[in-house]
Amino acid sequence: MKQKILPYLLLAPMILVMGVLVFYPIAATFSYSLKKWKLTAPNDIRFIGMNNYKSILTAKSTWYSLQNTLFLLLLVVVATTVLGVLLSLFLNVSVRGSGLLLAIAVLPWALPPYVNGILWRFIFHPGYGFLNKVLLKFGLVEAPVEWLSSRWTLLLVVAVVVVWRSIPFMALVCMAGRQSIPHELYEAARIDGGNGFGIFRRITLPLMLPFLAIGITSTSVSAINIFDEIIALSGYGDLGKNILVESYLTTFTFLDFGKGSAVTYLVMFLAALLGVFYLRSLNKEVEY
Amino acid sequence: MKIVRKIGYFIALTVFLLLVLGPFLWAFVLSVTPEHAMFAQTLEILPETVTFENYAEIFTGGRKGTLVITGILNSLKAVGTTLLVGIPICLLSAYALGRMEFKGRKLLKDLLLITMVIPVMATIIPLFRLFVERELLDHVFWLSMVYVSSYLPLITWLMMNYFAAIPRELEEAAQIDGCGKVTTFLKIFLPVSRPIILSAALIMFLNTWNQFQIPLILASSLETKPVAIVVSEFMTKDSIQYGLTAASGIVAVIPPAVTALIFRKFLISGMMKGSVKG
Repeated sequence: MKQKILPYLLLAPMILVMGVLVFYPIAATFSYSLKKWKLTAPNDIRFIGMNNYKSILTAKSTWYSLQNTLFLLLLVVVATTVLGVLLSLFLNVSVRGSGLLLAIAVLPWALPPYVNGILWRFIFHPGYGFLNKVLLKFGLVEAPVEWLSSRWTLLLVVAVVVVWRSIPFMALVCMAGRQSIPHELYEAARIDGGNGFGIFRRITLPLMLPFLAIGITSTSVSAINIFDEIIALSGYGDLGKNILVESYLTTFTFLDFGKGSAVTYLVMFLAALLGVFYLRSLNKEVEY
Repeated sequence: MKIVRKIGYFIALTVFLLLVLGPFLWAFVLSVTPEHAMFAQTLEILPETVTFENYAEIFTGGRKGTLVITGILNSLKAVGTTLLVGIPICLLSAYALGRMEFKGRKLLKDLLLITMVIPVMATIIPLFRLFVERELLDHVFWLSMVYVSSYLPLITWLMMNYFAAIPRELEEAAQIDGCGKVTTFLKIFLPVSRPIILSAALIMFLNTWNQFQIPLILASSLETKPVAIVVSEFMTKDSIQYGLTAASGIVAVIPPAVTALIFRKFLISGMMKGSVKG
């Protein structure tokens, strides 16, 4: 009897925390999204079915934010994957002080994303920021570039900043994957007469794939959830907003809890699509 | 050939160092530039005169500087609470989910893992309401509980993987010796878990330090707001103080950077499957 209850007993704290702080709110957010509920009209809260969804799906502003989200997602995932793999190769070269290089490499990942945004705002400062100084010095531009005041350059800057912070994690995951492959496998392959490319294709790549999958999905999730950097670079404005900022603005600036919740569920839907892949790559056991 | 390789590596190294350290160095330059020379119309990269006013403001108790120090203390408090509550919960869950057979195990595991992809915004609106109703706003403890709930899935998963590499025979031997499940956990699992606990602590420390969105909504008072929020308040539209922002940004980066530097070894080991074996 005791044996049967024990696992649930051990899991009880987790179930309590997750139940109250995650699962209950997710359900509640859905019920909010079906209501007309503005803090500015506290006496007029009522059930309105799918109307919030209808109104956000027909609003230009939603599609604008959605475009921004998808643009950032694509750019961040592709660039982070390519550069992360490159960085892991670079860090794998053993030289004197390679431990120190690894330590330097994780710095961007360790700093607060908001501060990350600030650091880069100084570089992309529209007046005499660092990049403009360099460009002017080499005569590449005639006048300072206004990086943060048009939609696509702003988004490009946001992507650069997020990629900069995401690369270390991708590289770490690749390195962990690479180091998890037993040496014996390589030795065996060499004895069997495998050449460099053959070994890469038959051993390194397939055994690295699950790790790469984890890296890519986790980067995608954080790319959908970009918030701090956008705020740091452009404030609570409309220009560079993604769907998450849209949801924040609707809820906490315009105090429309109903509509805000509906926008949130749109983000959830996007994230859930990725979640399926994530779950698959996490549950996959690697056999050596 | 060897020379070419060496030069290639040297170029890669230079690009790497410039790209990683550049933003920090530029922020440091700005933090010691006098306010009047900030973004002056000159192509000179270094300022003519250097001032440490901004750092003095932070460390010798200037009105705005005190905010930064309070923010740092608040962040540290949240880190402490998160670790003290989070690590034990994760260890217990990982042991139960990873090493015990019971009804609903797979379902619970999947439910836990799927929450890894759920955006903060999906839970924050009801949480905000809950916090307002129960008067939990502006308590570091409750704020930290929200953090814990957002790290639980990842940390539990990492620990589960780690436990998976501990041989069944060890566990069985302990049981033959008459140890129950709990004693087995305490005597076999816990002693070898030091590396994964350190990894988990490191990840939780960095994530807590970096929080912005959750405290933006749940912690607005001076007693609770973390350092990232304090820095963001120097950037309000009416008066952007670049020097102070840069200096406080640098100060805010030092604790996580130093911690990551010291414990970097545990960053990779936490992610490796079967790291116990080696």
